[in-house]
Amino acid sequence: MGKNSSNNSDAMIQALHLTKLYKIPHEKRATLFETVLGHLRNQMSYEDFYALRDVSFEIKRGEMVGLIGKNGSGKTTLLKILAGIVPSTSGTFAVNGKVAPLLSLSVGFHHELTAEENLYLYGAILGMPRKTIRTSLTHVFRFAGVERFKDMKLKNFSSGMVARLAFAMMVQTDPDILLLDEIFAVGDKDFIPQCLEVIEDYRRRGKTILIASHNLETVSKYCSRTMLLEGGEIKIFDETKKVVEAYEKNGKR
Amino acid sequence: MSRLRHYINLVYELSWLDFKLKYYGSVLGLFWSFLKPFMMLAILYVVFFYFLEVGIPDYQVYLLLGIVFWNFFADATKDSTTSITAKTGLLQKTNLSPIIVVVSAIMHSFWTFIINLAIFFVFFFAFGHHLSWSILMLPVFVMLTMLLTVGVSFLIVPLYMRFRDLGHIWDIFLQMLFWATPIVYQYTSVPEEYVRWYLLNPVARLIVDARNATIYNFFPAAEQILITTAIVLVTLAVGWAVFKRYGQEFVEQL
Repeated sequence: MGKNSSNNSDAMIQALHLTKLYKIPHEKRATLFETVLGHLRNQMSYEDFYALRDVSFEIKRGEMVGLIGKNGSGKTTLLKILAGIVPSTSGTFAVNGKVAPLLSLSVGFHHELTAEENLYLYGAILGMPRKTIRTSLTHVFRFAGVERFKDMKLKNFSSGMVARLAFAMMVQTDPDILLLDEIFAVGDKDFIPQCLEVIEDYRRRGKTILIASHNLETVSKYCSRTMLLEGGEIKIFDETKKVVEAYEKNGKR
Repeated sequence: MSRLRHYINLVYELSWLDFKLKYYGSVLGLFWSFLKPFMMLAILYVVFFYFLEVGIPDYQVYLLLGIVFWNFFADATKDSTTSITAKTGLLQKTNLSPIIVVVSAIMHSFWTFIINLAIFFVFFFAFGHHLSWSILMLPVFVMLTMLLTVGVSFLIVPLYMRFRDLGHIWDIFLQMLFWATPIVYQYTSVPEEYVRWYLLNPVARLIVDARNATIYNFFPAAEQILITTAIVLVTLAVGWAVFKRYGQEFVEQL
């Protein structure tokens, strides 16, 4: 699971029969006391919920792939498995290169700390040594357009400014594969095109991007291929135009 | 950058972050965490030295060293249980390992432990005590205490994630263990037929040996150190196995 393979350099992400099963207890028992009581009454029952079911696909170098589907269709679960955040129940996947282990631009920051202090933590999570972080800070602040506020506590930042910082920092680590989950939920009119420009530039440099979004316009504009998930299964994985059309038709019905 | 260096870097950043956060917005900052052992010392000293009249030589430093070691073990294990839930956002959205989160929480208490030890020595010399070569053993006991704390935390964190009332249970257990450890009294006061069992408590063994090396200037017996090391390593190995097995599920249970 999740091993790096250097052969077959064209396929950047290869997933085979990925399945994720969540066991959801009928009654949530969070304490030992409740569990003991539950066992005594012989009532420990679970509901099986397949967040992903037998998902196989391949994404090639230099592709930007969209990931669409309704809420709860398995988009985030798939990204989480590929990023190594949660293990899959069965199935395997291989990624060829460095994955940015970061799905969202709005969490993970600590609001009582200054922007600069946050970036040191963030950089460490992304796998950057402290020295590299120090040298790239100026660039990050300039890209995010928040140089003046670097010593301000993050709680005084807007969510858009936080997203700018996070994105700027992530780009600094120069990953081969970007996994992005709904990054356009925050950020203003200037920032989203700025992000997309960077992402597009990334793709041109032969990097691979998998982006989950509800924004069909963005997906249509930038993604060559798109995967439509429904109930944890791949409904269609084809050229974006066809997939978006099918999705829209489905939605109207 | 190698994986290990990445992990070390992460532990450093996360523990330093916790350290800073803890003292942001408190006027006296760090002062409070160093006041705590001295408040404990004052109370226990008055009760046991004046009221109960225990006749332990050099009781001030005897008591303080025990308190400093005990506080590290108690605070670090308590902090580790809540560390996972405190970092929910990071664990759900990045590939940060839960192991790193737990070790960072312990490291954070470890910094306080080291500074408390430094203050202990100020106190130690102020009371006119002297060191001998046996002090060289102290770092060994400090490291063993650290490893023991990591092992115990690895064992209790999965339990806490599964059963949230473990926080209360652990608090009660720590209170019991406090009195089952020779912090305010000497282990020689324990009835002889129970000493064998009593000395299975690794915290007790570590505190006794640390005092021997620091205050009473003699090298603890090698076979006793070996037994302590064995208990610590077994705890660590079992903790590691349990954590490896259940650690991945944490992120899903958040």
